[in-house]
Order: sequence, then C-alpha cells, then structure tokens
Amino acid sequence: MKSFMTFRESLSLAVAKEMEADPSVFVFGLDVPDHKRIFGSTKGLVEKFGLERCFGTPLSEDAMTGVALGAALSGLRPIHVHIRVDFMMLAMNQIVNMISNLRYMSGGKLTIPLVIRAVIGRGWGQSAQHSKSLQSFFAHIPGLKVVMPTTPQDAYSLLRTSIRDDNPVIFLEHRWLYDVEGEVDERKTIPLGNATVRRQGDAVTVVATSWMNVEALKAAEVLERRGIQLEVVDVRSITPLDEETIIQSVKKTRRCIVADYDWAFCGFSAELASLIHHRCFNDLKKPVERLGFAPVPCPTTRPLENLFYPSAVHIIRIVEQMLGLEKTDLSGESFYSYEHNFKGPF
Amino acid sequence: MNHGELLKMGEYNHLSIEGCSPDIIRCLYRFMLRLRRCQEALIKEYYPADEMRCPVHFCIGQEASPAALSLLLSQSDYLLSHHRCHGYYLAKGGSMNALFAEIYGRATGANGGIAGSQDISVHDLNFFSGAILSGSVAIAVGVALGFQTKALRSVAVTAFGDGATDQGIFWEAINYAVLRRLPLVFVCENNRYSTYAPLSKRQGKENISERVQSFGMNVKTVFGNDVALLYSVFSNAIEEAREGRGPCFIEAFTYRWNAHVGPGEDDYLGYRSVAEREFWKKNCPIALLEKQMVGQNLMDSKIKEKMIVEIDQEIATAFQFAKESPFPHLKEWSQLNYNIDTPQADRLLETIDSSFFDQNQKEAMPGPY
Repeated sequence: MKSFMTFRESLSLAVAKEMEADPSVFVFGLDVPDHKRIFGSTKGLVEKFGLERCFGTPLSEDAMTGVALGAALSGLRPIHVHIRVDFMMLAMNQIVNMISNLRYMSGGKLTIPLVIRAVIGRGWGQSAQHSKSLQSFFAHIPGLKVVMPTTPQDAYSLLRTSIRDDNPVIFLEHRWLYDVEGEVDERKTIPLGNATVRRQGDAVTVVATSWMNVEALKAAEVLERRGIQLEVVDVRSITPLDEETIIQSVKKTRRCIVADYDWAFCGFSAELASLIHHRCFNDLKKPVERLGFAPVPCPTTRPLENLFYPSAVHIIRIVEQMLGLEKTDLSGESFYSYEHNFKGPF
Repeated sequence: MNHGELLKMGEYNHLSIEGCSPDIIRCLYRFMLRLRRCQEALIKEYYPADEMRCPVHFCIGQEASPAALSLLLSQSDYLLSHHRCHGYYLAKGGSMNALFAEIYGRATGANGGIAGSQDISVHDLNFFSGAILSGSVAIAVGVALGFQTKALRSVAVTAFGDGATDQGIFWEAINYAVLRRLPLVFVCENNRYSTYAPLSKRQGKENISERVQSFGMNVKTVFGNDVALLYSVFSNAIEEAREGRGPCFIEAFTYRWNAHVGPGEDDYLGYRSVAEREFWKKNCPIALLEKQMVGQNLMDSKIKEKMIVEIDQEIATAFQFAKESPFPHLKEWSQLNYNIDTPQADRLLETIDSSFFDQNQKEAMPGPY
C-alpha cells in the first residue's frame, strides 16, 4: 500500500507495524509518551499498544540503556528513544563497553536486537548541548550499526529493518527532516548497507548523509541551471557501508565531495575520502573534498549557527572551485535556513 | 515534606521576617520583583517579534531561591545552575543588559551570543549554567575540592531541579561531597515536574532528602517560596561550608508557573492539576513576603511604585541595549577556535567563508521526496 506522509509519520508507522508483527518489540525513553511524542514520531503508539509497550523513563540514560541491553538479552526487542543525541553521551559506558561488545565476546552466540533512535542536528538556536550528530563517533565502535535515513520511505523501511536486525543499531534522525513529505510504500524493504543514487549527474558526485542530501539536491537544482549535473549519493547507513554504489559513482564523475553532517576532523568524511582515494586513485581528476560542521562547539546565535552547519551554498562553492567556474550569483535563490519559517520556542 | 502534603496546607502563613534586618528584606523583595518583571517582559516581547532565537526556560514562581542566594555569595564563590538559570545569573551579579543581549544572540551578550539562554555563563563572576540535567552537580563538587585543596574560604553552590536527582551522577556527587567534607551547598528546587513528567512517575518514593541524608549529608527541607526562611537556611549552610564543616543539601519545594520552555503556558495539557496551580499562585513568593512587609510597615504602594519604575527602566534599557547591539562580527568567524594548538581546526574554519551567510536570503522548504 502506498501513501503520502511525513518523515515523522513514517517513523511511528514503522514502529507500529513491527509492534503489531512481534509482541517482543517495545519502545521507551524520556518523553516518549508525553503529548509531544518525540516530535510526533511515537504518535499513536500508547493508544494502540498501551503503556506496557510504550513508556517514559526517569532521567537515567545510563541505567535505561543497560535496561535496554538486558531486555534484549532476555528476548525482547527494545527501541530506546532519545530526543537529543547529546543525551546518549550519558550512556556511553553501556553503549561502548557493554552493548557493542557482547555479541563478539560471546563468540556470536548472543544476539542484541536493540535499536537506539536519536534526534540529531539542527533545531533553532539549540547551542552546544542540543545540536550534535555524532555518527562518526558511533560508527568508530565495532559492533554498532549506524543508520541515517533522509526520506520518509527510507525512514520507514530502514527502521523496520533495524528493528528486525539482531545487532545493536543506532538510528539517527535529523530534526528538520521530520516535516519532509514523501510517498511511502509499506511493503518496500530496504536492507542496511544499501546506498542509493538520489540524483543522476556527470559533473561531481556528492556523497551525503542525512540532511546533507537535502542540501545537495538544492545545490544540484541551482547548478543545473548552469548546465552542471551533480550526482547525489545517499549513503543511508554508515555501518554497514555500501562501498560499491559510492565507488561506481565516483568512477563515473571522477570528482567527489563528501558532504557529511558531523565534524570533519577524524570523521566519517575522512573515512570515505580515504576509501575513495584508495579505490579511485587513477580515476580522480581532483582530490576528494570534505564538508562538515565547523570545528567548534555549535554556537547559538543565528549568524554563526548558519556558518556552523554545512549547506547547499557550501556545496555550490566547492563545486565551482573543483570545476574552475566563476561564482554563481545566489542572491535570488532560496535556501533552507529556517530563518523565517521556524517559530520558537525550542 | 512532599508536594502532595503541601497542597493540603492551603495557605502558607509561616513566613516571618523577624530575624532579618529591614535592609535585607527590602533587597530580597526587590530582587524577586525585578526577576519577575524581567521574565514577564521577556515573555511579552517574545512573539510576534520572534527575535529570541534560542530555547528560553522562564522561572516565574521560582524567584525565592535565587533571591536568597543573591545576598549570600561573594564574587569568588561559584554558582553552577541549570537551564532555568536567569534568576541565578542575576543572583551572581550578571547584568540585565548582557542577559538580554545573549538571548537576542548579540555580540554584547554575556557569551557573545554563542551560548544563548540555557548555557549562559559569566566567567568573571564564577557563574555557570547548562542544559544537561545534573551536569553541573559533579562539576560543583570539583570546584569545592579546588577550594579545599587551596585552603580558600570560598563556597560552591549548585542549583538544580528534582529531575537532576533521577541521574546516577547526582548520587555519586553527593557521596563524594560527603566523603571529602567539601565546602559545597546543593540547592534542589523541587518543582515536581521534569518537563511533563511528575516525580511520582520517575521515582518510586518521593523522599529525595531522606535518601540524600542516608549518605551522611546534612539536609534541610523547606517551603521554597518562603524567601526569609530560605535566606536563613542558605545563610547557615553557606557559613558552615565556609568554616570547613562540610556540605549541605537543601530541598526547596516550589513551582514553575509557565510552560517548561518558551513564553506560553501549558496547563491546557492537563498534566498539572488546577488545585495545584492555584495553591502555588496563592503562595506566590513575592506576595507572601509583601504581606509581611506591609504588616511591618516596610512596604506601601508608594515604595512599590517607585521600585517598579526603576526596575522597568532597567528592563527597557536592557531591551534597547540588546536590540541595538550587533550580531557577532562574521569576519571574526575564523578566530572562533580558541585552542591555539590546533591549526587544523583553524584551517577548516577559514575554508568556511563568512560571506556565505545572508540573513535576507529567501527561504525554501524541502521535499516532497
């Protein structure tokens, strides 16, 4: 069945489908059952499945993450939700020392069917403690899978796949994507480790994560008017990583920008740049360029926040440099800053 | 004492100003009135202007605790607060101009616009806040350890809500403060709710103080809207800590009138009872004190009027200061990495051209995909 819905609706639909299909699936976390329902992404679950399978927690991330692990070991399939990825930092001992290790340490005997959903990235003047992304950080740890959907279809299908996965999966959702609409085919399954070409082009490949796909498509739209065709590859999952789709695209365009939504230094963008340089050394016309957060904690004030997060403008300027073009006049263009569209209070 | 029992009390009539000098009483009153009016003015100005572009947590109804602390801490003492921090910021001597400018994201703000409301700090005044609950509690323990190690007579105070006591780190910090007999005062503003979740849905028993006491901590439980009582309890605790007689934990029962975040009210959601709201509004910390002051001829409509005029002038000046102040200078963007030993970060910052940003740029919405 196909229907049109927002990203947030696709998330709650995916969880509802899995909870219906498997009584061992449950969802919990701080603020999960309150009236806001994690920006609407857990809407309807309390009503449908009751507080036994959809419940809030004390402000005890470390302990609750241990609880999730224990529940997974006992045969349940927990989905632990964090309204900000920053709050997961309170549970890093459980995630990095316990959850990620157990399957390996048990010689593969134990399974850890556990999903940790977290809202990432930009809100609106969120400052340094409510604004991170951290996929590089999680992907650095062997034993964790890291998924970053961009479209409602991907959010739906990848969340269902993640819940069915027998390994711990960190599922990262950009806050600005929640309002994005798209068609969702409820029967469509997407495996983890499967990148997709969002847009075909021949000039430059932009490999993007999460919200950066939106920015890359905007950059492509602007540059298309100058006859430049960007190819946009959405990696969809950081680990497992679909190397072949990325490499094939870069071999075709022979130029690549990795547009990651995280800090660049020691980040996923560095990992991909290294991979691409190795595998496409003789194909590349230019070194791989990388784009990410500015190397500072996130500033609150709007002008600096706009510089902190990478955008379509950054992509356009880098493409122009790579191709040796004059700067495009962007004064008439529209971009995504939420400067006027977003109204507080948080 | 717990919230349920308090509601049965009806009207609070134990506030006594006997032990305090008239000067102190007037200062406490003025602080609370100033804080209240400053919050109300910010709320009024919030929409439709929409210039305060960061989450703002208002503290109307919770003025007493910062008021009492405002008279008891010296510059060298540290105050580490939570996200609902405007009162504590003013208590430590932060200027209203710099507070408003910070919320407006201007270069003249306390942190140059970088921190916003919930992470505001003033280095010179040893004031800190933060948006991770209980984040400041353990830091305060470390600050107090520093004072003890250096044999200073300074005191650290950390203020937090009942939500922070859900966290494991809170109990670890309590234990260590007792173990080391640190010069530290814990102020728990128990307003019963962490965002929308009442304490009863987060903790098996509503007896935070009792549990803290079992760690060997000195504990006081007080009605947190009685500013005279708070002043006396804080004063003793800070003195004891200063004299090296160890830490103290004070649980002050109080209530936030507004929504968890932002300028609105959220009572329509039904997570808090009407009776509860009425109890706390009836026992408003300012009104309770005012009643006693009037009874002792320390307050009349003329004095109050004069105070209001002064306060409102300060608020008007702060708005004007904030709105006329510039945003941070974009040319200085590449100097935002303050760590001089990381040239790599400097290079990365330089590649982000500050001329990219245009506040008047047209805006688009993404999708559908």
